[in-house]
Amino acid sequence: MHASRLCVFVQISSACTYVACIQPLEDLAAVTPPEPHITECISRDQATFQCWWSPGNFHNLSSPGALRLFYINSLASEWKECPKYVHPNRECFFDNNHTSIWIPYCMQLRGQNNVTYYNEEDCFRVENIVRPDPPVSLNWTLLNISPSGLNYDVMVNWEAPPSADVKTGWMRIEYEIQYRAGNTTKWDALEMQRQTQQTIFGLHVGKEYEVHIRCRMRSFVRFGEFSDPIFIQVISSKGSTFPLTLVLVFGITGVLILVMLIVSSQQRRLMMILLPPVPAPKIKGIDPELLKKGKLDDLNFSSTGGGLGGPPTYATDFYQDELWVEFIEVDAEDAGTGEKEDNQGSDTQRLLDVPQPISHHMNIGFSNAVSFPDSDSGRASCYDPDVPDQDTLMATLLPGQPEDGEVKTSPAPERLLIRTQTAGPQTWFNTDFYAQVSNVMPTGGVVLSPGQQLRIQESTSGTEEEPQQGKEHKGSEDSEEEKEKEEQFQLLVVDPEGGRQAAESNTPQMFAPPSSPIPGEGYQTILPQPAETEPAATAEDGQSPYILPDSPQSQVFARVADYTVVQELNSQHSLLLNPPPRQSPPACRPQHPLKALPSMPVGYITPDLLGSLSP
Amino acid sequence: MHLVSVMRRCVWAVLLWPNLLTSSVPLDCRQEQGGVSRCSSISQEKLLDRVIQHAELIYRVSEESCSLYEETFIPLPLQFQRNQAGYSCRTLPIPSSRSEVQQISDKWLLHSVLMLVQSWLEPLVYLQTSLDRYDAAPEVIINKTKWVSEKLISLEQGVVVLIKEMLDEGLLNLNHSEEALFQYDVQPEMVESVMKDYTLLSCFKKDAHKMEAFLKLLKCRQTEIYNCS
Repeated sequence: MHASRLCVFVQISSACTYVACIQPLEDLAAVTPPEPHITECISRDQATFQCWWSPGNFHNLSSPGALRLFYINSLASEWKECPKYVHPNRECFFDNNHTSIWIPYCMQLRGQNNVTYYNEEDCFRVENIVRPDPPVSLNWTLLNISPSGLNYDVMVNWEAPPSADVKTGWMRIEYEIQYRAGNTTKWDALEMQRQTQQTIFGLHVGKEYEVHIRCRMRSFVRFGEFSDPIFIQVISSKGSTFPLTLVLVFGITGVLILVMLIVSSQQRRLMMILLPPVPAPKIKGIDPELLKKGKLDDLNFSSTGGGLGGPPTYATDFYQDELWVEFIEVDAEDAGTGEKEDNQGSDTQRLLDVPQPISHHMNIGFSNAVSFPDSDSGRASCYDPDVPDQDTLMATLLPGQPEDGEVKTSPAPERLLIRTQTAGPQTWFNTDFYAQVSNVMPTGGVVLSPGQQLRIQESTSGTEEEPQQGKEHKGSEDSEEEKEKEEQFQLLVVDPEGGRQAAESNTPQMFAPPSSPIPGEGYQTILPQPAETEPAATAEDGQSPYILPDSPQSQVFARVADYTVVQELNSQHSLLLNPPPRQSPPACRPQHPLKALPSMPVGYITPDLLGSLSP
Repeated sequence: MHLVSVMRRCVWAVLLWPNLLTSSVPLDCRQEQGGVSRCSSISQEKLLDRVIQHAELIYRVSEESCSLYEETFIPLPLQFQRNQAGYSCRTLPIPSSRSEVQQISDKWLLHSVLMLVQSWLEPLVYLQTSLDRYDAAPEVIINKTKWVSEKLISLEQGVVVLIKEMLDEGLLNLNHSEEALFQYDVQPEMVESVMKDYTLLSCFKKDAHKMEAFLKLLKCRQTEIYNCS
């Protein structure tokens, strides 16, 4: 049975016709037809070819000789029988003489009784059915092994099939190599090769590879059969790659450990190299190490200049962490902690007070300032390291402090200072720690900044008139004028015993406030020593600058100034906030207190002035 | 002065001495028609090699163009490669089998080649005109066909020279007196035209392969190294 086909005859010219047949695709891949048919025709060398046939389902025709093969080509005018039968194979062999290239052949099977089994598809040209024999002498050689010892390259070489006449150029052949690893099923094909050798790259050591080759005519389609495979395997001479990885791992670990050891042993040096230390601040002449250890005695201050000869031999315990803000920072720490002394009351009281604890605190505070390794020349230079006498120091700071032979104190108001001792320190001043001394009078009185001046005024208005009855100050008119001017000023007279005398002595101090360098501010003038028995200025009006508080009355002087003005240095290079009076009695002279001081600037003493002040 | 003239001649001799080493047989350029044209001397071996290279190239390009045409225009069942169905090409009285080829002389080999080449000059021109009539013919096929046509003309010239030199024959008559095989004025239908062109391309591929084989066999005979049996 023939499959349904449509054949078309096309005639190009009188001598040229062709036949084209159309057959459905599914029939092309159909099973072998049941009738006898030509199985295949192959040429190996383009000079001869063979054809095989099959009887199909016609088993009665399977005996040799039952079927005969006939062929025809364009050169022959009739069908010819096969020149040479190979009956065991059902094969027909066409030799050189019967083979014509480039002309079409058609095959035909004929049975007994001239039954013809003919298929149009069995027409061909010999050059189109050429399938060369597989190449021979397939061999391989090792090219190189990678440095890691895991991969290698191989050169495969072979020879052309002997049946193919390549030398004369009758056939041009190209080759295809295929290889695969031993356990895989998929072949890897390399490029078509015209030479008889090829390199295979990237094979793995230890694996077994299988290689085979086939060839075909150049520019044709059909390949020949594959050659017999060869096996390639390269075994590592070191045994296996496992020890290599172990060696690598151990080696790297050992190197790492060594590096860590080196780093840890030389850590300090490495740190010095990698992270150089930041240079510490250096003070000329001062060894920072000594400072750290606290050995003040060893500190060499000689190069700092000024009058700073060396640290005073004061209390060793100093408060380095304490900010030495002002000179009279009395009991700053003690007031906070309260552990040093029973220092109730404000600093102002302590400032004016004479008792030891205050002086002690004062001393401490002062020594604090002294021992503080401060390069502030303003302060340090003013300091006299040779001040041995604490009392003297205290006397200078506390106006009214009885100095030896300097301050004449009236018997009664020896303690001319503002103190309400009877009432208790705390009643006098509020919880202020500081009292800013704004000015110091020549008589030694200290002018403090005002606090609640109104209250003070009221309380002392009544008592002022009493001491100011008789004695008139020489410049009472002036004082009055100035008093009028200075409404705000307040004079704080501390004299529980003799208010009168205090008032008298307050006279010269009246001018102090007006001449203070800070006008417009209220002042609380603390009267100096009572020796200045000068006529007290009359303070008839309520704007009396004098304030005479009652002793039992608790006066509230709220706020006092925090700073004082150093007026002078005495012979011992101590700071004089209240310089001693001059020999000439300045009582009747409303001298400007500041004018009495020769060339004494108002304000702080700078180091460069210190030299000029030295006696 | 005498020295200068001697020096001049020596210089000329030095410059021209490579010509003495030329062992080739210079080909006569008188055969070129159309006036004086420059032609360089070339040996017979080299000419044969060049002719063979031409034939190989022509075959390869024709094979590529035929495959491309087949993929583009021919449905699968009608392809000649698959069916191997017979398509008739014009046959020439030239040997077809290898045995015959081995038996014929060099003269006949060359003449056979020449006949083949000359038989395809006109069909290729027709093929070009036919392809131009297509609506969407690939540019590659048209260019390849054009290139093949030009190279074939060069191949013909080379074979002619070879015949003259190797066979010591006179100038062949290059006029193609054959009748026109194709009718250019008649335009066939599209399907018919496609099949016709396909057949032309396939037949030309076959004949180009034949030319190459003949020329290679001729070379083998010339070198006489192998037993060109």
